[in-house]
Amino acid sequence: MNNEAMTSFDFSSLGAILPELFLAVAGLVLLVAGVLRGDKSTNFIGGAVIWCLGIAAFILIGLEWDRVSILNGMFVMDPFAGFMKVLVIGGLIASVALSMQYLHQDYIARFEYPILVLFSGIGMMLMISAHDMLALYVGLELQSLALYVLASIRRDHIKSAESGMKYFVLGAISSGILLFGISLLYGYAGTTNFAILGDTLSHNMSLGVIIGLVFVLAGVAFKISAVPFHMWTPDVYEGAPASVTALFAIVPKVAAMALLIRLLFEPFAALQSEWFQIIWFIALASMVLGAFAGLAQNNIKRLMAYSSIGNMGYALIGVAASGAMGITAVIVYLAIYMAMTAGVFGVILCMRRDGNAVENIDDLAGLSKNAPKLAYILAILMFSMAGIPPLAGFFGKFLIFQSAVESGLYTLAILGIISSVVAAYYYLRIIKVMFFDEPADKFDAEISLSRKLVIGLSVIGVIFFIVNPSPLIDQSRIAASSLFSGLDDVATPDTAENNTQ
Amino acid sequence: MTEFFSSDLWTIYGLPFAFMMAHIGAIIGVVLLFVAYYTYFERKVMGAMQRRQGPNTVGPFGLLQPIADGIKLLSKETIVPTQSNGPVFVIAPMLLFTLALIAWAVIPVNAKWVLADINVGILYLFAVSSMGVYGVIMAGWASNSKYAFLGGLRSASQMVSYEVSMGLVIVCVLLCVGTLNLSEIITADRPTWVQILLFPMLIVFLISILAETNRAPFDLPEGESEITGGFMVEYSAMTFALFFLGEYANMILMSAMTVVLFLGGWLPPFGIEALAIVPGVIWFVLKTLLVMFFFIWTRATFPRYRYDQLMRLGWKIFLPFTLFYVVLVSGLLVYFDALP
Amino acid sequence: MLTGLAFYLFAAVVLVSAIAVITARNPVHSVLFLILTFFNAAGLFILLGAEFIAMILVIVYVGAVAVLFLFVVMMLDISFSDLRKGAMQYVPMGLIIGGILLAELIAVFSAWKFAPNAADNIAVPFVQSAEGITNTEAIGRVLYTDYVFAFQVSGLILLVAMIGAIVLTHRTRPGVRKQKVADQQARKKSDVLEIKKVTSGTGV
Repeated sequence: MNNEAMTSFDFSSLGAILPELFLAVAGLVLLVAGVLRGDKSTNFIGGAVIWCLGIAAFILIGLEWDRVSILNGMFVMDPFAGFMKVLVIGGLIASVALSMQYLHQDYIARFEYPILVLFSGIGMMLMISAHDMLALYVGLELQSLALYVLASIRRDHIKSAESGMKYFVLGAISSGILLFGISLLYGYAGTTNFAILGDTLSHNMSLGVIIGLVFVLAGVAFKISAVPFHMWTPDVYEGAPASVTALFAIVPKVAAMALLIRLLFEPFAALQSEWFQIIWFIALASMVLGAFAGLAQNNIKRLMAYSSIGNMGYALIGVAASGAMGITAVIVYLAIYMAMTAGVFGVILCMRRDGNAVENIDDLAGLSKNAPKLAYILAILMFSMAGIPPLAGFFGKFLIFQSAVESGLYTLAILGIISSVVAAYYYLRIIKVMFFDEPADKFDAEISLSRKLVIGLSVIGVIFFIVNPSPLIDQSRIAASSLFSGLDDVATPDTAENNTQ
Repeated sequence: MTEFFSSDLWTIYGLPFAFMMAHIGAIIGVVLLFVAYYTYFERKVMGAMQRRQGPNTVGPFGLLQPIADGIKLLSKETIVPTQSNGPVFVIAPMLLFTLALIAWAVIPVNAKWVLADINVGILYLFAVSSMGVYGVIMAGWASNSKYAFLGGLRSASQMVSYEVSMGLVIVCVLLCVGTLNLSEIITADRPTWVQILLFPMLIVFLISILAETNRAPFDLPEGESEITGGFMVEYSAMTFALFFLGEYANMILMSAMTVVLFLGGWLPPFGIEALAIVPGVIWFVLKTLLVMFFFIWTRATFPRYRYDQLMRLGWKIFLPFTLFYVVLVSGLLVYFDALP
Repeated sequence: MLTGLAFYLFAAVVLVSAIAVITARNPVHSVLFLILTFFNAAGLFILLGAEFIAMILVIVYVGAVAVLFLFVVMMLDISFSDLRKGAMQYVPMGLIIGGILLAELIAVFSAWKFAPNAADNIAVPFVQSAEGITNTEAIGRVLYTDYVFAFQVSGLILLVAMIGAIVLTHRTRPGVRKQKVADQQARKKSDVLEIKKVTSGTGV
């Protein structure tokens, strides 16, 4: 055996992956701490996870965000990845902070809960930075596996177990579809690296590549729950414990959307005419289904599921519009959507009566009399979700539709506006129930500080976004344009210099 | 006919094939002979340890006893229970016996004395030994009897548990020798400190092979006193004989594996050059006999483990210990720059 | 010729036993056929010259994973014929989907072509293995260098799977008396035994 290959490994090149490395090590340490101290340490572990995520965010922000690809071209760091990761970490912090009190109330205060959230977070960050089909797949699996477990963490509850099972089986099928597509692409191109793949796919095509592309997109569409791969969403959202649903709604879709964007604009950049039709269709179908199917829902978690399907549809319009402007709109939209969802789920988590969680829309009746603060907060968030100016939700939609119009996607823009008007009905219905219906019994009053903090930040963000929207939009523009300036090196494979072996 | 023997077909395919068949036949014959006399050996040794005589009536010193036993088992009726799952019931003992024999293909009993000198010999051995569990678990299930089923389940979990630590022990040895080929494992250079370093692994391996072959003190799958014979309870005559032969062949195989991994195979003991005049195969057989004696010795001296104790030993003691040892061995090898 | 013969033998058994996996009435038989399939697939790997993968396939899938499969299936108390009752209504849909996939596959592979530079793109060119390094070494060389990222993340995935299995199945049952070896070892004669002088005729 010779050891040449081992000695030439350069540790300094690991800088770009430092946040993930830190989180992985922290996860292992916290796991050991949790095992030693048992379930009574859940609060401590939860707090520690939040701190670790915060530190990782600091490390991330402190990094150079210049485009660099390391580890044999498997991991890429650029402003797009950096910004999306900041969003993901923010979402993770919010969802852990929201759920700690809920865990105790619902008897699922296991110390593994925050640790699984942490590991799924690592998976999401690796997905965002994936620059190779292998890296994409392992990141995706790391994220999904942790989420499957979280969905069924309330294992003696039949609905939670069912939702975990459904999510797992369907997720496994979608992974299989994704892998099948990847293998077709690999069979054609002989590589899984995004840069070389993009280069190879740019000239003469074969039918296998198109089918491979379709399969890969189907697999990813499942993860962002775009129609027609959305069927799992309502059941999983409804069955999973509300704190887990909050996590599902806030974070993973952002990561999956980032992954989709990178896939479409790096390896599949040359296939734009092919994937455009697919994205166009799933955007349209998601918006329409999200709007119309949401009308019939009485369970607020199911309602949020359809809402998220619809919102992914709007975000996909921006993807279809492509170009730096479209992607900027997508990123802004996702950031605003995350903030709003965090707030909404903060309120949903407060819906408890006599120690039990209630989740029907009717249970909100007369909330304006029982708990006026909560009612006004939810009302503001719902107005924002419905896209009423001057709240943040309006700007997200506005940027998306603007980019659609500028790229000439009039059908999508018009149908998007129509469906958002339809969807506004169910958002506004919640407000009507809260303010004009006969009051139901009161909710339990105690709300933990961390949850108040998240809800407060979300509402402040939504209201005051109009005052100074430029930081978010500017950052998003930098992130989005990095994706397109990065296209230069798609033509010249960037692995040669990084391939230290 | 003479034309055929001079044709290309014969020289290219026929001759090697016939040679290989003869080779296989010779190996099987010798192994079966050893199996037969291992039972005799066991009874004699245990007799001596318990101040009895052991078999002494059939032939001089009872030497024909194994043959008499064989004839008895052959001439009895094979009973297949009506409620059993016929094909699986019959296949199970055959599988166990076949697996115990095919593993011998890669065991080098002397320099170049090996049927298949393959690159991944040790993995082949490990793979074959890990499949042995199917014979037991199939027998337990197909018998459609509670005792047999319990025995099958016990054996499955026991063998899977101990395979983990066995695998890690093998990894430790492989780290020191740097090859997966069994002949090269034997001839690889091992400094004294490496041999001392590996000694605890030898102990773990010896205990694990007891569990892997379902031998006392880990013979819970049979557990006569609680489950009346476990997975073998419904078997009779030749099917039982196959289990019996398979078990003993497996014990000899595991002894040979220990010899290959830890005791230097056909090389003379302690590296004494003068002893090299004795043919290597004799050394190999003597060393194997030593480990085979160990099997009998433990059986005669130790009481049976309780099931939770067995699992505790496997998962809570051996697994962490061997895992730690893999790290230790690789760390030391890197530190002293002794990687092969 | 012999390899050809072996190929057809292994391939035929793989196909037949794979079909038997889904058609066998008894679930235990299904698992046993699955094991046969794995085993013969390992044979095919050997014919390809990938002996390391073949052995690992047998050790991991046949020796460990399938044992646990069998274990679970044997202990399940499910009437599989009941499960199959409703299955017929999904057959047309399944046939349609299967038919579409089959048509796609035929279309793909009948017009298959490789990218002109596919051979250059392959990360570990085939020539390397011709230099007389064994399979195991060749895999080891790339696994811990070029693909260390995927390797480590796979490790994390397995860790998460393990945490998940424990979270979802481990429960502490009250009232179970466990053997505490440390307590047993620490027990002293004076803790449990008291020697009393009994004068005859008085009792204790």
